[in-house]
Amino acid sequence: MNKIILIIIVSVSSSLINGQVNAGGVETLQSTYLEQGAGPFSASAGETMWRKQYLDKKSGKQRSCQTCHGRDLTKAGKHVRTGKVIEPLAPSANSERLTKVKFIKKWLKRNCKWTIGRECSAQEKGNFLAYLKGL
Amino acid sequence: MIARKKVRVWDLPTRLFHWLLVMAFVLAWVTHGESRHLDVHVISGYTFFALLIFRLVWGVVGSHYARFSEFSYTPKELFSYLRSLSGNGVKHYIGHNPAGAWAIFVLLTLGLLLAISGVIVLGGEEQQGILAGYVSFDQSAPFSALHETVAWAMVVLIVIHICGVIVESVLHRENLVGAMFRGSKWVAGSSAQIPAHQLVASVIFISVIAWGGLSLNTYLAATDEHPYQPFKGPALAMNELWNEECGACHLAFHPSLLPARSWQYLFEQQDHHFQEELMLDDETLNELLQYALNNSAEQKKTEAAWKINRAIGRDERPLRITAVSYWKDKHSTIPDITWQQESVQSKANCGACHYDAEQGTFQDAAMRIPNE
Repeated sequence: MNKIILIIIVSVSSSLINGQVNAGGVETLQSTYLEQGAGPFSASAGETMWRKQYLDKKSGKQRSCQTCHGRDLTKAGKHVRTGKVIEPLAPSANSERLTKVKFIKKWLKRNCKWTIGRECSAQEKGNFLAYLKGL
Repeated sequence: MIARKKVRVWDLPTRLFHWLLVMAFVLAWVTHGESRHLDVHVISGYTFFALLIFRLVWGVVGSHYARFSEFSYTPKELFSYLRSLSGNGVKHYIGHNPAGAWAIFVLLTLGLLLAISGVIVLGGEEQQGILAGYVSFDQSAPFSALHETVAWAMVVLIVIHICGVIVESVLHRENLVGAMFRGSKWVAGSSAQIPAHQLVASVIFISVIAWGGLSLNTYLAATDEHPYQPFKGPALAMNELWNEECGACHLAFHPSLLPARSWQYLFEQQDHHFQEELMLDDETLNELLQYALNNSAEQKKTEAAWKINRAIGRDERPLRITAVSYWKDKHSTIPDITWQQESVQSKANCGACHYDAEQGTFQDAAMRIPNE
């Protein structure tokens, strides 16, 4: 319990220092994507891509974001291989979500590669964030 | 016909000692192989130890027949007594006969060896108890063998002791078992008068009950969410980055569960980490690797670390903890149906049974198989 409180204090104070109080991560990243020539961002395009199934050639199985995050983003998901619980992604259910730029960048990169088989474009990433922040 | 009268031979503390020692021994014996009952084993072991120490004191300050001086016979006396058993002229002793007396001294010696070796093994192998931190795993290894051998020797001697009691009871037409309960014997002629020592007996009785109750009452307070963890291991070094990076997808297996060469090998191939691509930047990778190398199995911080390290050949560098022979042996009796349970699913899901999986301590008694 103490550890959790400590993590909260550290993350809140560090986000205050960085000038990013909650949800600030999305705006920071989206403005970066805008600078790269992407935009405007569409939540519905983000949602369509989020739900789409992609074939993984190595395993021969269909993959989508829902494979691990589940169908309802306000509820916890489950890692498809290990069964490890993945905390809800919707900011309304989990206020820590979409707050840390480094964290969002890392997982967008890693999970685009796992699910789609390639890194996502600035436009696609911006769309995902537009969809997710409204949940 | 000589007049026989009923006199008290065994005072209350001696009788209480005898039967509590029996219970403590039996309890420790039945719980000895089962890791999850280690706490009961240890509690009964400590009780056993304390009872023996009491008996040593009582052998000096106790009542007449309880004193060592009353029943210290030479080996010569022992053998002449044993020889006389086959004939008719068996001498009758009011207190302990030479065979019983020798059994007591040998049992007391073995009991003390058993208790002391147990405390050493607990301190070394589990890093628990009064010797935790003072004995290393390697130092305790021979005592583990001694503990087991002495326990078996005691079992053999107990069997001989029981046989002796039966033979004596038949030969002298005297219920010796009953005497150890009631304390009195029918005696011809005069005999020393001994007090019952009820106060001393009460203190022993209350102490044992209180100690047992205090030790085990935590079970009552346990819930499914907060199961009782009888032993907590030494706090291992934790790393926030490790827990965050590794723990995002699976249990953040503590580095103490594999040797340094395994971790080195694992991070060398981060682009196909069990068919996944980790994409860790150099800075992250270095910190994770450093933490792993500094806290690997070779550091022998826990029993699991020590035994895993011991089980892996110098030329091997397994990537899966489940590939280590020690792990396989330890889990060999678990049926498939247990692994397939919803709450378990994967052999990598240590936390399904081990309460302290995240802390990496893997204490013997901090383990429960779900729905068993």
